[in-house]
Amino acid sequence: MYESTWMFCLKRILTLPFVLLGVSILTFVFIRFVPVEPAEVMLRLARVAPTEEAIQALREELGTDKPFLIQYLLWGKGVLQLDFGTSFVSKLPVAQELFAKLPATIELALAAFVLILGFSIPLGIISALSKHSIIDKIIRFFSILSVSIPTFWLGFLLLYLFSLKLGIFPTNGKGTLAHLVLPALALALPSIGLFVQFIRSTIIEELQQHYVQYAQLRGLKNSVILIRHVLRNAAIPLTSLLGMTLGNLLGGAVIVEQVFSWPGLGRYLIESIMNRDYPVVQSYVLIIAVIYVLANLGTDVLHRLLDPHLMMKDRRD
Amino acid sequence: MRLTKYLLPFMLVLTFSVLAGCTSKDQKKGETATQQTDEKMITIGWPLDVGPLNPHTYLPNQMTAQAMVYESLVEYNDDGTVTPKLAESWDISEDKTTYTFHLRKDVTYSDGTAFNADNVIRNFDAVLANREMHSWMGMVNHMKEVVKVDDFTIRLQLDEPYYPVLNELAFVRPFRFLADNGFPAGDATQNSIKVSIGTGPWVLTEYKKDEYALFSRNENYWGEKPLEEQIKIKVIPDSESISLAFENEELDLIYGRGIISLDNYTYLKDSGKYKTATSEPLSTKALLFNTQSGPLAELKVRQAVQYAINKEQMVDSITHGTEKVANTLFWDAIPYANIDLAPILYNPEKAQQLLDEAGWTLQKGEKIRSKNGQPLSLDLIYIATDAIQKPMAELMQGELAKIGVQLNLEGADVMVGLQKLMDDQVDINFWRTNGPPTDPHSFANESATPNASGVYEAKLGLPNAKEIDNKIHQLLIGTDEEERVQLYTDILTVFHDEALFYPISYETNNVIYHPYMKDFAPRASEYDIPYAQMDKEK
Repeated sequence: MYESTWMFCLKRILTLPFVLLGVSILTFVFIRFVPVEPAEVMLRLARVAPTEEAIQALREELGTDKPFLIQYLLWGKGVLQLDFGTSFVSKLPVAQELFAKLPATIELALAAFVLILGFSIPLGIISALSKHSIIDKIIRFFSILSVSIPTFWLGFLLLYLFSLKLGIFPTNGKGTLAHLVLPALALALPSIGLFVQFIRSTIIEELQQHYVQYAQLRGLKNSVILIRHVLRNAAIPLTSLLGMTLGNLLGGAVIVEQVFSWPGLGRYLIESIMNRDYPVVQSYVLIIAVIYVLANLGTDVLHRLLDPHLMMKDRRD
Repeated sequence: MRLTKYLLPFMLVLTFSVLAGCTSKDQKKGETATQQTDEKMITIGWPLDVGPLNPHTYLPNQMTAQAMVYESLVEYNDDGTVTPKLAESWDISEDKTTYTFHLRKDVTYSDGTAFNADNVIRNFDAVLANREMHSWMGMVNHMKEVVKVDDFTIRLQLDEPYYPVLNELAFVRPFRFLADNGFPAGDATQNSIKVSIGTGPWVLTEYKKDEYALFSRNENYWGEKPLEEQIKIKVIPDSESISLAFENEELDLIYGRGIISLDNYTYLKDSGKYKTATSEPLSTKALLFNTQSGPLAELKVRQAVQYAINKEQMVDSITHGTEKVANTLFWDAIPYANIDLAPILYNPEKAQQLLDEAGWTLQKGEKIRSKNGQPLSLDLIYIATDAIQKPMAELMQGELAKIGVQLNLEGADVMVGLQKLMDDQVDINFWRTNGPPTDPHSFANESATPNASGVYEAKLGLPNAKEIDNKIHQLLIGTDEEERVQLYTDILTVFHDEALFYPISYETNNVIYHPYMKDFAPRASEYDIPYAQMDKEK
């Protein structure tokens, strides 16, 4: 049984290099489609008239004067040795910059994750158990609302309400727990809405299964049925959704970090794209791809452990 | 189901524990949760990190922060004059190729080390080791050597006269001075510095990259000491967030051009809760017409476009009065630019008449003028993310349609537009001057040589383009002041009469601050924020 899970992981991990190769080539090509080259951007942003001499000198310094393929191979060779190159703008090693900012983004994503689970599971259960009641309608209304609001707008709404009008939280920066609440909430809300809907419908479906009726006939308490059987079965499809959510969180973090001045990777990426800081953008995409693939793998494994049917199917195959 | 009875309270407890956790934690420190700013400190929001504070390099260093720590030999003032700074006086040789600077003797760096000729030469050498990078500055291409005369005198030798030397030395970078202890191995400041030590009024005392930078008053400062003890620059990338943080009293002021949207500025101003101030003009927003080919190769078409637009109304309605209408390319306080030029004022009839004269006529039933079967259609590129350019472009499109001219708009990235104009693929582009202290000579320089400003290419279609280039070269290296005034007058007049530019508005630094701050005068400078004059009512 475990062996097959191991094999499953191994297969998936073996495909990782190919995914990364594809992703890195695509990023490498796409970022170079953006008009105007880094050398000129840097000079302009510095309010320096980009004379031919200055542009040429900078190209040589950045290595963008070399043919495309050579640039890619040089960068790729570095990556294999865990050297992600040097940022065009800050002149510091990209790895150092990215790993300095990664913790802030992870902290934000984890906080959002805690909020998603902390809010959506109870709300989903309440909604399902009080189907069609006024509470259910209110919860459903808000969950649809939270899914539909654009993240940046939601961010400003939260800032306006909780910082400006109520004065509970600061508007920007990082440091105390208070600084973390609003950005995490802005990041989590759209997913909370999604989860509440999902949990509600899964539980309603599960409650109509025969085993629930049997259990009730056997005289088990409703709370026991719910916690030991219904929720456990409902958790299986939830795990796949968790994996997808991670992608939403990483994407959403870019916007949330911008709005709340949170010093994480997302904000750094926006700046780097503007500045045509190729090495940073390339490495960022690579790191996110690794995180994404591993997270998906994690949820798949969890899914298999929770759902014995899948194991059985594997064995039969 | 009974379970709901437990779940609802659980949710409420979760929510309130988070809220309580946040507030109680802050109240322990005797503050409210949204931390107000300190009374001995001025807090300001800035969209970008201050950078490594290297005086000799550009991005990602922020000019406003470099200017707090490092100083130049001479200073440029808003009225166009140049006055002593680290140099107390200077002599210029008869042939205008030798500048001798006498350094102040009472200056020390913030770490207590000496500011003297050896250190100045060391800084010049480090900058000139990277000449290509600074080639945009005309002086760099003329500098032969900088040598020590005695402990407090240095001599700058040029290969030929170049009049804007003092203006360029006054600029925020690269000719500013780093203490000996700040130099890296091999003096390669072009790559990095060891530590940021300057002679300026502020010292960097605490720094969290991409979060904030805290500057403290330099207690060794040789000049007038700042009124406040500390300046905190918070990094807030989003302009809306800066606005909210200010309203929430987490920032004491908002200072600069384009730091927040004009809508927000107007909203804050109109709320009546804050004080505002506007600097003298620092740069000019204009349209640059491409004369290389197409309808704009004709003077009458260029003039017609300018007569057709109601500029007063456009500038007032879009910039909410924060920018002043510009009828000439340079504001009067810019050196050599105070000349009489006849403004082109809104006159749609005159515009129609000019187009008729040029043979661009309106056929029956048509809305667009044409000539030899060619419709009168022009392309304008604006910066897609610019909150002012886009509405202006749309407004001009409407105005020009009234006189039978089709204006096609294209929003693009900051860098794309001028490139297209240089390649002769677009007719009109938004354009802005550099502002002091490098104008008007840097403008002249850029107009006479191919570079990325686009002016050189845009003017290729003018009948006297070559002659203009010769005049520009002459005025930069000429030694006769009267002749230079005349040459500038000639060039600016030709550009004006040929309608190469359509001046729109003078950009200013807009300041908005809380009533508990004392008044101060904003500067007409891209990099000099007068932090030293800022103070709070105690």
